[in-house]
Formats: sequence, structure tokens, C-alpha cells
Amino acid sequence: MEKVKCECGHLNPYGTYLCESCGKPLKEEKGKVANMRYEGVARRSQTYKKSPVDLVWNFFSSVKVGIWIIVLLLVTSSLGTLFPQEMYIPPGENATIYYEQEYGLLGKLYYQLGFHNLYSSWWYMLLIASLGISLVIASLDRFVPLYRALKTQRVSRHEGFLKRQRLFGESNKIDNIDEEIQKAEKLLKEKRYNIRRENGNLLAEKGRFARWGPYVNHVGLIIFLIGGMLRFFPEMYLDEHMWVREGEHEVVSGTNGEYFLRNNDFLIELYDEEDEKYQDALSRADGPVVKTYQTSATLLKRTSDGTVGSETELEEIKDYDIRVNDPLTFEGFSLYQVDFKLNELSEFTFTLESETVDADFSDIEFTVNLNDPQKTFEFDNGYRVEIMEYFPNFIIDDNREPTTINRIPDNPRIIFEVFPPGANEDEGEISLIGIQVNEALNGENDHTIRMTGAEMVDVTGLTIRKDRTLPIISLGGIIFMIGFIQGSYWHHRRIWIQNREGTLLLAGHANKNWQALKNDFQLVSDNTHIPLPLDQTDKDNKGVSQDDDRTK
Amino acid sequence: MKQRRLFIRSVILIVMITAVGYTFYNHFADERGLVDQGDKAPNFVLEDLDGNRFELQELSGEGVYVNFWATYCTYCRDKMQYLQNFYEEYEDKGVRIVSVNVNETTLQVERHKQRQGLDYPLFIDRNMLVSNAYGVRSLPATFLIDENGIVTERQIGAKTEEQVLDSLSELIPSS
Repeated sequence: MEKVKCECGHLNPYGTYLCESCGKPLKEEKGKVANMRYEGVARRSQTYKKSPVDLVWNFFSSVKVGIWIIVLLLVTSSLGTLFPQEMYIPPGENATIYYEQEYGLLGKLYYQLGFHNLYSSWWYMLLIASLGISLVIASLDRFVPLYRALKTQRVSRHEGFLKRQRLFGESNKIDNIDEEIQKAEKLLKEKRYNIRRENGNLLAEKGRFARWGPYVNHVGLIIFLIGGMLRFFPEMYLDEHMWVREGEHEVVSGTNGEYFLRNNDFLIELYDEEDEKYQDALSRADGPVVKTYQTSATLLKRTSDGTVGSETELEEIKDYDIRVNDPLTFEGFSLYQVDFKLNELSEFTFTLESETVDADFSDIEFTVNLNDPQKTFEFDNGYRVEIMEYFPNFIIDDNREPTTINRIPDNPRIIFEVFPPGANEDEGEISLIGIQVNEALNGENDHTIRMTGAEMVDVTGLTIRKDRTLPIISLGGIIFMIGFIQGSYWHHRRIWIQNREGTLLLAGHANKNWQALKNDFQLVSDNTHIPLPLDQTDKDNKGVSQDDDRTK
Repeated sequence: MKQRRLFIRSVILIVMITAVGYTFYNHFADERGLVDQGDKAPNFVLEDLDGNRFELQELSGEGVYVNFWATYCTYCRDKMQYLQNFYEEYEDKGVRIVSVNVNETTLQVERHKQRQGLDYPLFIDRNMLVSNAYGVRSLPATFLIDENGIVTERQIGAKTEEQVLDSLSELIPSS
């Protein structure tokens, strides 16, 4: 591709509309007013179509493509909110049937199309990645030539350039043009324009840095996206969940088994309904209103001595009361209070009784720890109770066998075998006992095990969070806003005043807020003999003003 | 000039594609376990149901089949039955089976042992310390450890009897 030489001597890249230096139109354009977008420079993307690299580059450089990517992202993102994402369906529900069950055919389709995990699907991530690439390439392709054009612009512009500006005026009835330009210069300087002079011509410019606003804004966006991308890198981001029973400790996942958390006490504090301060508000609520959720926790760390396993030794690091929005923080990890489970069963107490056997059962009372049950209970009067089977979370499985779903005592069932004094090993009475369940399993039993009490503990639910990307994302957001302000609250304006052999040429260009530019012209025109330029886009204007009465 | 432009464009594209590619790889590739093929197997100490101390390190020189399981995991049950059938045969060949329960109650594990008729020792991983050190997230999870203490394979999920046998055979020390 050849360079285009302008009559002013400047070499312009192929595809340039207006000479970068003097502004002379290099291509015929329709209309009275020149297209000043990107200063009429050649957007590099549109000039080369050679290698595959250029093809890819040109594709992403297109603003049209960029806008389509944004539209697609908006549409698909909103589709993802139609039904809950998989991580938000009720715990324990099976996604394969849940969506159809709950939302019918549409839900089934939703699941089959993979919309239940939309935001981490490959095509959604690819769209986001394309947006990032498009941002980088499109910005580069526009920023570099625009920067160069504004940097190399000459004061003395070509007449064709000036005539094709939206604001243009000329006059040959001014006696001392140079003096008038001098006056204008002083006025514009007071208006804090940057003034450049060349051969008696004048360029007044103001707020050029606002032109970089969009690019600063894009840089912020790109940093923001990089921050989001880093979440997928190891060690950068963690979002896990843990449950800890009161009095127990659990490992904090993500710490390689290094840190543990003990739940000393979990409490829920309610607002006092007697308190006058809150009475009105509380009377409007349906039930009691929670004031605080709190886990009094102790952070433990594995000591370096002792092998992993039953010889692991833990040392206490610190005590902390974890409350909502007041996490326990250590080494980049934060433990947040997010959930709780009140009254998880922990102990059952039983007695033995009989209607047929005459014996003293008053001493027989035994407690089964549901998190570590004892195998046999022996009593002074010769009775023995054995636990044959224990199911913390009872269920009959597909093979019609009793089993447990997991190790959490949500629905505990115990099979007891009662041996009266002197009974043989195979003579025990077997019964299945659980909450509101008491069945004899081998015929009529003479003895009945009666549940007399249950102990419960509270369980706290914590979220383990580590996010090293947050500073990057915030930085991106801040830069985004700076660029946004830079491009919105300032605007670039330029005024050209030239003396062409006794004729005064006057033109102005602004990127937006033309009214402000017109006001500046008004000021110049009020205080000098320089005429007011006309807006060539006004329909009422027949043409360019030749003379202005005020100059006379 | 044109060469330079092509070069700059290529570099920018390559950098971006690499970053996106790495992100996708991290997100979609089969997650590598905390402990996986080629890693040195972390040492651990556990006690069996009779309170006998066991340390992994003591088995150096032998192939070790470490299996994490729970009573409520059906596939674990099948797998442990296969192991029951072959453990004696392979113990003679220098392969040991270490069966680690993930923090269930002693009573359950004992009853499970009786009901299933398992003769090899069962260990209970109190507080999931070992499971965490090995990055066990779903059951059954098996780690094959060679005579030098190096993990040769990490297996997740159900396995057929043949597959279990193959794994055991692989573990026979070469010397």
C-alpha cells in the first residue's frame, strides 16, 4: 500500500481522509462538512488485508463487531437469570430433574442447553474473552493514529479543511487582520486556550486530553477483565464452604490441611421486643428479628512436628467472634458467617422398661453419642444392651438395604439388641429406634427401649474466601471511572483563525458541546471585528457567511 | 515497516490468546489432584480399629494401594469386596492395601467390617486430616503408590474387578 503525499509535503498512510498535517481533504466526500472522526486518519485496520494475522486483527478492530459482542453478552447474560443457576437451586436437588420438575418444558430445555451453568460455560467465557480482545485491538487501532494526528497537526490548515468545518466564517472587509488576530489571541488565552501561531495564523486549542478519556476508560475495562481472568489462576481465588459443630474443629479447605477452625459457641441474638426503641419496627415484623449471628471460633494451626493423621498436633493461633460482615481473616483467607443449623442431634438418652418382666430397671439409663456411639452398655443388674447397627442419616437404598446417606445425624436410627441376664448371644431382642420410630425386629419383645431425652448442638456455616484479584479489579474500576470523567466533563475544542492574503478565515471544531465553542466565538466576535462563524449544519443557512454586518 | 506491524500484531495476539488459553485450561482441564501422578505420597499416621499404629513410610519397598472410602458409598463397598478377594495373594507379592475411612464413627466402621467380612485392617481418618492432605473430594478415591513412595496413579470413582486387579498387579515391586 502506497503512502499518499499531500501538497503540503506530508506523507499520509493509505486510507487517510484528511491530511494529518494540514487537513486538506485527500478523498472526495459528500456533504459540506468533513467527517472529523479520528481526525480523518486512516484506521490501520481498514487498510491492510493480507496475512491471517491481519484478518484476525481487522475482525476484532471493527467497532461493529465489538458492539455485536456486547449485545450478545447482554442477551445471554440475561438468559442466565431466567431460572436460578445450578449453584442456587435448593441443596440436595438433582439438577437433571429439578429444572424440568420446577419449570416444565422450558426448564428442561434450559438445562439441556447448559444455561444452568451459563456463566462458566465455554462459549460465554469465549464471548468475554472476545470482548477483551476487541477492546485491546480496537482501542490500539484508533488511539495510535489519533494520537499521532493530534500531535502532528499544523497551525496553518488547508483552506479546504477550514471550509469543510462545521463552524466556518470568512471576511475580506477587515482592515488590519493581524491586529484582530492578536486581539483574539489575548481573549482566547484568557479563556485558557493553548495558542499556537505560525505565519500569522492561529490555532487555539483546549481540552485535548479529553480525547484520551475513552482509551483510559478502555484500559480500565481491560484491567478489570484481567482481574476477572486471574480468578481462574491457581492461588488467586477461593470460595469454599465449611460446617463446624459446636465443640468440634474442622479443617479449613484450601489451606492444604494447615489451618483448622474450632467452633466454641454459636449464638443467635434477637432484638429485644420489650425495648421501646425497636418496638414499632418489631411489631411490623412477622416473627422475632435477628440481631446477630455469631460464631465464637478458635483458629488452629498444624504444628510442624507430628505426621499428618492421628499424630497431628494443633496449636491455637487466635480466638475471634465471627459475625456477619466481620470475618476472621488470616493469611489472605477470610471466614465469613453465612449459614447455620440449629439443633442438630448429638445425643440420645434411653431407658429400658418392660411390662412382662419383673425386674428393677430404675438404674438403666444410657446415652448414645450420635457422633461416636459406644458399642455396648452393661448394667449392674446383668442387663446388656448392644448397638448392632447405627445409621446417622437413615435411608433404604436401591437394594432395599438400610444404610446412611452421609455421616450427619439428621435422621439417626439405631438397631439395639437387648440381652436380659443370662441370655445367650443369639437370644437378644432386636429393635430399630429413631425419632418417633420404635420397631421390634425379631418377634414380640419383652423389653422396650424408650427414648427419654435428646441433646442437640448448633452448627455454624462459614464461607472460606480468598480473593487476590480484588485490588486489580478495583484498580480497573477506578481507571474506568477516571477515563469516563475525563471524556465526559471536558471536551476538546479548536479554533482556527487564518489570514489568507487579506481574507480572514475562521473555523472551529468541537467533539461535543458545540454550544460552548459557539460561546467562545461569540466572545471573540463581540470584542473584535472578527465575524461570527456560521453553523453549516443549520438547515436555515444557505451557505457560508461572506460578510458580517458587525464588522463594518 | 510492514514487517514490524505484522510482528507487533502477532505478539499482541499471541499474548492475549495465551492468557485466554491458560484460563480455559485451568477451568476446563481435568482438575489435577492436590496429590497426583508423579508426586511424592505425603506420609501419614493412622490407627486401625484395634489401635495399632500405622505409618505409610514404613511400607517403603512395597507397593501401596491407598483407598479412601465411606460406608454410605456403594462403589466403595464393591471395591472393598474385590480387595477382600485378592489382598492376601498380593500381600505375598509385596502389595499392601491401606483402607482409609473418611471420619465415620468407629461403631459404623466396625459393623461394616463385620457385615462385609473384611479381614484387612481399616483405618479411620479422624477430622479428615489425611483426606485433606491428599485432596480427596469424592469417593472412592484411590492412590497407587510404588515401592519408592511415588504416586503412580490417582483414581476417582467406581472400578470393575479387573481394573482393581490390574492396579494391584501394577503395584508389584519390580525388584
